[in-house]
Amino acid sequence: MGGCRKLRMCCALSAGHPMSLINSFPFDSLSPSEQGITRSLRVGTGRAIAHHGELLQGVFPRKDGRLHRALLTLPFPRAESVVTFWPEDKAGIHTRPIGRNKAAKAAMLAFQEFGFSQIGGCLTIESSIPIGCGYGSSTADVVAAIRAVASATGAQLHRSLICRLAVEAEIASDAIVFGEQAVLFAHREGRVLEYFSGDYPPLDIIGFASRDDAPVDTLAFTPARYGSSEIESFRVLRALARRAIRNSDAGLLGQVASASARINQNHLPKKHFTAVLKLAEEVDACGVHVAHSGNLMGILIDATKESSSAQLKFATAAARNLGFTDIVRFSVNGDGVSSWR
Amino acid sequence: MENLSFLTDYETPRMVTLDHNLQGAMFRLMKMLPARFMLDRAEERGLLKTGGHIVETSSGTFAMALAMLSIVHDYRLTIISATTLMDMNFKSRLEQLGASVILVDDALRTGNQDGRLARLHQVLEENPGSYWPRQYDNPDNPGSYSRLAEVIVDKLGRIDCLVGCVGSGGSLSGTTRYLQSLFPAMRTIAIDTNNSVLFGHPAGPRLLRGLGNSIMPENLDHALIDEVHWVGALQAFRKTRELYETKALFVGPTSGAAILVGEWYARHYPDQTVVAIMADEGNRYQPTVYCDDWLKCQQGWPPVRLAEPRKLSKSMPAGEADWTFMRWAQRSAPMVDRQ
Repeated sequence: MGGCRKLRMCCALSAGHPMSLINSFPFDSLSPSEQGITRSLRVGTGRAIAHHGELLQGVFPRKDGRLHRALLTLPFPRAESVVTFWPEDKAGIHTRPIGRNKAAKAAMLAFQEFGFSQIGGCLTIESSIPIGCGYGSSTADVVAAIRAVASATGAQLHRSLICRLAVEAEIASDAIVFGEQAVLFAHREGRVLEYFSGDYPPLDIIGFASRDDAPVDTLAFTPARYGSSEIESFRVLRALARRAIRNSDAGLLGQVASASARINQNHLPKKHFTAVLKLAEEVDACGVHVAHSGNLMGILIDATKESSSAQLKFATAAARNLGFTDIVRFSVNGDGVSSWR
Repeated sequence: MENLSFLTDYETPRMVTLDHNLQGAMFRLMKMLPARFMLDRAEERGLLKTGGHIVETSSGTFAMALAMLSIVHDYRLTIISATTLMDMNFKSRLEQLGASVILVDDALRTGNQDGRLARLHQVLEENPGSYWPRQYDNPDNPGSYSRLAEVIVDKLGRIDCLVGCVGSGGSLSGTTRYLQSLFPAMRTIAIDTNNSVLFGHPAGPRLLRGLGNSIMPENLDHALIDEVHWVGALQAFRKTRELYETKALFVGPTSGAAILVGEWYARHYPDQTVVAIMADEGNRYQPTVYCDDWLKCQQGWPPVRLAEPRKLSKSMPAGEADWTFMRWAQRSAPMVDRQ
């Protein structure tokens, strides 16, 4: 501490040119605006991952007892969107590839939020997330764009602000802002109902879709109207999810996902759900998951089990034999390099 | 209905560890849970409004929960019971909460179920628009027990066996449904008492109150029950006092019965996680179960301490110092006359 203090005084004493003040990294000095210098932008990059359906989705009470639609997302870290903002002299934001209007809108909202106007630049979107398959590619672009703007402006960015801006740009948001941290997220409002303490248990997942289930337009989708007993069941599932994450218990989290998927069959049924359940049982999986407003499904395997890679291999082959498409393997909270990388 | 935390505490169980594999789900007043839930749903459906009138036949904790909710939420409440079923202290506690209490005569000392129901219908006719919660048949009673299942899974995760007393069937059927959808292998053990029709005894006078029934409630789903125990009143009283004298747990006699059976099961299955439901606290039983002079007046007191129940091959009443059980194996309801 003593040394640091001394150094600081040296800087202050030796400051001859205003630029040296701006560049002297951790030390308080006159801010650029106080010195009448316009704030400049730099090249900024942001990233956001995809999701693969949900482990739990339903309606849940907040502390005041009111019910909110919310979900516990299944992160799909294998696919991500990387967005870079390149400042340009000409006003207006354009995107590469062209026409990513939601990302451009989100970037503009973020600039406004940070007090910048008359911004010009290009957003380059490099995403490995397939578009229109229910992996949340559009949300990932929006979130990555907001992060890129924060980086370009040097702004601090709290996750709750990302959520708010994303909802503004896109009507609904998604919990991927939280990456691999488990939250019960009210996606239509862009806020967290509950932070679960702990991490997702290590899971290996085989995800797929069926040609017999029509793809779903997330935003045009009419949300499910849950019955009273379903609403009460969600209370129990929320508590079990909390327990599963606190204890890093893949088996319990699998039960939550399967139960939520079963309730979802009353609202957006998956045609081959019984076959998926049977397959999960055959490979001794800990559960199945579905997209509650999409056509994705998957099988959850406890990645801490020695047999997990064999289970995964078997399930992948079986999914192929059952005629499922978009088959993809991924891990959540796994350690090391996955065999399919 | 507004969320009032001072009442929420009554309906939220604490999980207490009684053995390495036995937990008690201990309520201050379990019936607050279905009572509050039923009234909430009735308000949602427009059957009950602030200032509205509630009428119910109950002699115990359900009446108390309704009275507590009525005073806080400004409902008028009429409780119908029988002279043999409600002591004056309890009646006056209800009345201090603003309830009108009607006690019908009970010369035969069987509870006069017919007389109580006739009086209830009379009150309903005299007060059009009154709401009758019907705890025995209202599906919102079992439906409310998501709150118990919620606490159990949060604290324990997977459980293997649920033990609880049956009166209306609400708590045991409801909690079992929520838990079995997650843990299909879970077993459910029902506790009844002699001369209750729930699992096939002919109706008769019952010394142990707060469980058992002389009519068959729709809320008891027999198909969920794996095993049924009939705990005689004296065994329940003895265990209740033992819990107080060894663990300082001051609970009602149905909790004594639940722990008697829960401990026995947990001892036989040391690798399983067992939860026993404990429905209320001991205060109301101060002049009876917690009074040595009262106990001494009960024929057969003190009973022999039983370590094991006696296995029956068919449902039949035994003595108040007995403890019997049989495999129920999820069979349907026994044949009884429904009133």
